[in-house]
Amino acid sequence: MIDGVQVIDFHGHVGRWDRYGMNDEPARMWHAMDAAGIDRACVFNIFHPDGTTGNDLTAAFVAQHPGRFIGFAYVSPLMPERVLPELSRALDGLGFAAIKLYSPYTPWPLNEPPWEPIYRFADARGLTIIMHTGSEPQALPKLVGEVAPRYPHANFVMGHSGNTPVERGQAIAAAQANPNVYLETCSTFRSPGVIEQLVNEAGADRVLYGSDLPLMDPRPQLGKIITAQLSDAARRQILGDNARRLLRLKS
Amino acid sequence: MTSLTFRPRIPVFDANVRVGDLSGQPAPCRDRAALLAEMDRHGAERAVIYHALTEEVSPVEGNLLLEPWLGTDGRLVPQWSIMPTPASLAQVQGLHRQGRVTSVRLHDTRVAGLPFRPWAYDPLLAWLSAQRIPVWIPLPGADADELVTTLQGHPDLVTVLVGAHYTHHLQVRPLLTRLSNAHLELSRYEPIGEIEALRDEFGAHRLVYGSWYSQYAMGPMLFYLHHTDLSEEELALVCAGNLERILGADPNNQLGPVSDRARHGQEPDHSSRVAP
Repeated sequence: MIDGVQVIDFHGHVGRWDRYGMNDEPARMWHAMDAAGIDRACVFNIFHPDGTTGNDLTAAFVAQHPGRFIGFAYVSPLMPERVLPELSRALDGLGFAAIKLYSPYTPWPLNEPPWEPIYRFADARGLTIIMHTGSEPQALPKLVGEVAPRYPHANFVMGHSGNTPVERGQAIAAAQANPNVYLETCSTFRSPGVIEQLVNEAGADRVLYGSDLPLMDPRPQLGKIITAQLSDAARRQILGDNARRLLRLKS
Repeated sequence: MTSLTFRPRIPVFDANVRVGDLSGQPAPCRDRAALLAEMDRHGAERAVIYHALTEEVSPVEGNLLLEPWLGTDGRLVPQWSIMPTPASLAQVQGLHRQGRVTSVRLHDTRVAGLPFRPWAYDPLLAWLSAQRIPVWIPLPGADADELVTTLQGHPDLVTVLVGAHYTHHLQVRPLLTRLSNAHLELSRYEPIGEIEALRDEFGAHRLVYGSWYSQYAMGPMLFYLHHTDLSEEELALVCAGNLERILGADPNNQLGPVSDRARHGQEPDHSSRVAP
């Protein structure tokens, strides 16, 4: 909790990626979260194309730490026959709150047909999808800008807000054009003025704090928001209020 | 206690600030006054600065462009860039004779067209070591094997390894182990919990706060350091004291690893910690 705001980290992982020091040891994650006042983190496992394996790991992780972590479902069109059954199982059976997509693990850009069943599923239920965006041809933010108007009841959160300057511009343009597009902030490209740019050009109600924990420590990523030249009202929206609205959190 | 606003609670000396434009990236601060205003906004009292042109084009010309940034109040400390050419060495040796060299910087040791090998760099490094001039080396432009191989031949040379990213994670511990006079600058090092872990394993005296402004924002890593379980003494070292020592200003402020401190009865008093 920071000055009365329940802080929600919208971008986190379950699993290990040892070459980069990523380690989902809960004590290490809690320590970092508690030291900076981060209440909850949204987590997903993107390393298993069947969806089921990673989602079960995510569910077990969340179940061990109730109240601190919120599970998101991961599916991949690499195994298309599993996509819809796994989404139903993860959302209805495991209690996950949203969907995570990672297109660089596939050959398909985000505006191509293999992704459409997922978008239709989210649109029918009014769900939020967070997708990796960046300079990879499968993950360009402008593709989300093409998709979002076709699924007006779904919300699309662009992880990393495109990451680099050209793609960041695409992400902002997509958010400006579509009321159901949001911008998430985690990135090691911490250029001066980036957070201010997102807020000034897309609106504070469209920006979400995320850290990529435990690949990255959530504290410097939180510091990006706290030390940016923003109003306290904007910081409150980014750190928690927007996430609570998207995830329909009651507590 | 975290708040929606942040100011550092100890003096801050930023070890890594770039001034001036890259050819394709104009700097957000156009002059010294603007940079000082940005530092004031984040609570940084002093900074070591180098010029962008030295990184991209020419250490010799870029060093000349550093002069208008310096002023006379000591807030901006020059870091002269150097490469193993006669012109570059002559320039820095001239500055050294004037008593104006407290550190130098080697850019892109992997991609400059000259391997960072003893046969190429030994004369330069031997001079720096003999003059007790510390050298900053950006890790994104370096080869870890070359760093260890070459720097081990100059065990007294003090180095600051700059800009480690999470993609350098597997290199950091071996580098700090093999290079006992190396320090890690923290501008981009974000693997979870690693500040505290490196403090425990190597000691706070091996860690140095730098922002690498204007490539990166000045505030996030300062915020991070203030929300770790570093003691106040350790925080002060990382945010300023170690850099002062490296630059020759204060040879006495040093804390070893936890294990060493415990062994020598020097464990810092954690009762003075400010709750994060």
